[in-house]
Amino acid sequence: MHEMSLVQGLFEQLKGLAAENNSTKVLSVTMEIGPICGVVVDSFQFGFEILSSQEEMFKNTELIIEIPEVTYTCTSCGHQEVSAGERPDACAKCDEFFLTPSGGDDLILKRVEME
Amino acid sequence: MCDSCGCPSPSHTHDHDHSHDHDHSSKTVDVHASLFAANDAMAKANRDHFDELGAVALNLISSPGSGKTTLLEHTIEALKGEIKIGVIEGDPETDRDAERIRAKGVPVVQLTTGGACHLDAAMTHKGFHLLEKEPGYEPVDLLFIENVGNLVCPASFDLGEHERVVLVSVPEGPDKPAKYPRTFGTAHTFLITKTDLLPYFDFPVEEARGEALKTNPNLKVMELSSTTGDGFDAWLDYLRAMVKAKKAA
Repeated sequence: MHEMSLVQGLFEQLKGLAAENNSTKVLSVTMEIGPICGVVVDSFQFGFEILSSQEEMFKNTELIIEIPEVTYTCTSCGHQEVSAGERPDACAKCDEFFLTPSGGDDLILKRVEME
Repeated sequence: MCDSCGCPSPSHTHDHDHSHDHDHSSKTVDVHASLFAANDAMAKANRDHFDELGAVALNLISSPGSGKTTLLEHTIEALKGEIKIGVIEGDPETDRDAERIRAKGVPVVQLTTGGACHLDAAMTHKGFHLLEKEPGYEPVDLLFIENVGNLVCPASFDLGEHERVVLVSVPEGPDKPAKYPRTFGTAHTFLITKTDLLPYFDFPVEEARGEALKTNPNLKVMELSSTTGDGFDAWLDYLRAMVKAKKAA
């Protein structure tokens, strides 16, 4: 459950942003959670619910989650396949097993709406 | 509340066909910052510090009970007088692992995470400074960071190590690489441990190796038994080569 410590870090960052913008209430937070970044979306949402309920400024904060795609490149023929997360079993073109992923390995705070 | 089981997880969907009645004082800030950024910055600072000191840092990741501490005990024994070793131990509780390492005569610091499932770069930073204050501490050539026994969460946190070593022991089965692709995908080296137990378990070594290389074609794969010493020379040579390269840099 490292998602909980990531959410704690997120809330620290949000408090800083709110202070910079003279805001007392966070309306929505948009996160981009890469499918291979090692974060379980349900656990992240669960941590967010728990921690947001404990502070006035996050009481009604909406968590919006976007999932980016991952591009898998075949190490043998260079064929690229875009996936919503599932690693393809093998290259669709040459059947090679060794595929290198790119993208989708980060956890990004995209946007914050405050008042 | 979740509609199906009543657990307190979010059940609302995020379609926006309804209009939000936020008042007009609301403000949207585009941030585009990685939540890993703070950890990654600290990890880089750690790595720079290790580089300045000419020390190689390795992050050992595995399930509980795969033989990380036993591997370290035998490694320290084998390299005594040749390479100066220091160890940072991460565990949810107790300093039992540190006691085992201390008995081998090298500086060691136990970080108890208080239940947390992984080490992060800030803990490693603190751990290294505590290590430097250990009685009789001399600058180390090789720093082992033994992560909390967990094959999932540690993969997301760079500690500032130069290489990441993932261990799977024979009794755990050969399908770990397929089940934990992020851990194997971010590792440099894969150690199959407890190979002395191969006659008693169904562990096709080639299958495990193949599965691991599928997730990460660049992995170095080694097989060894700390108990019998089989395969240990390749592991020691791997360590010696890294220390030598660091000294030459």
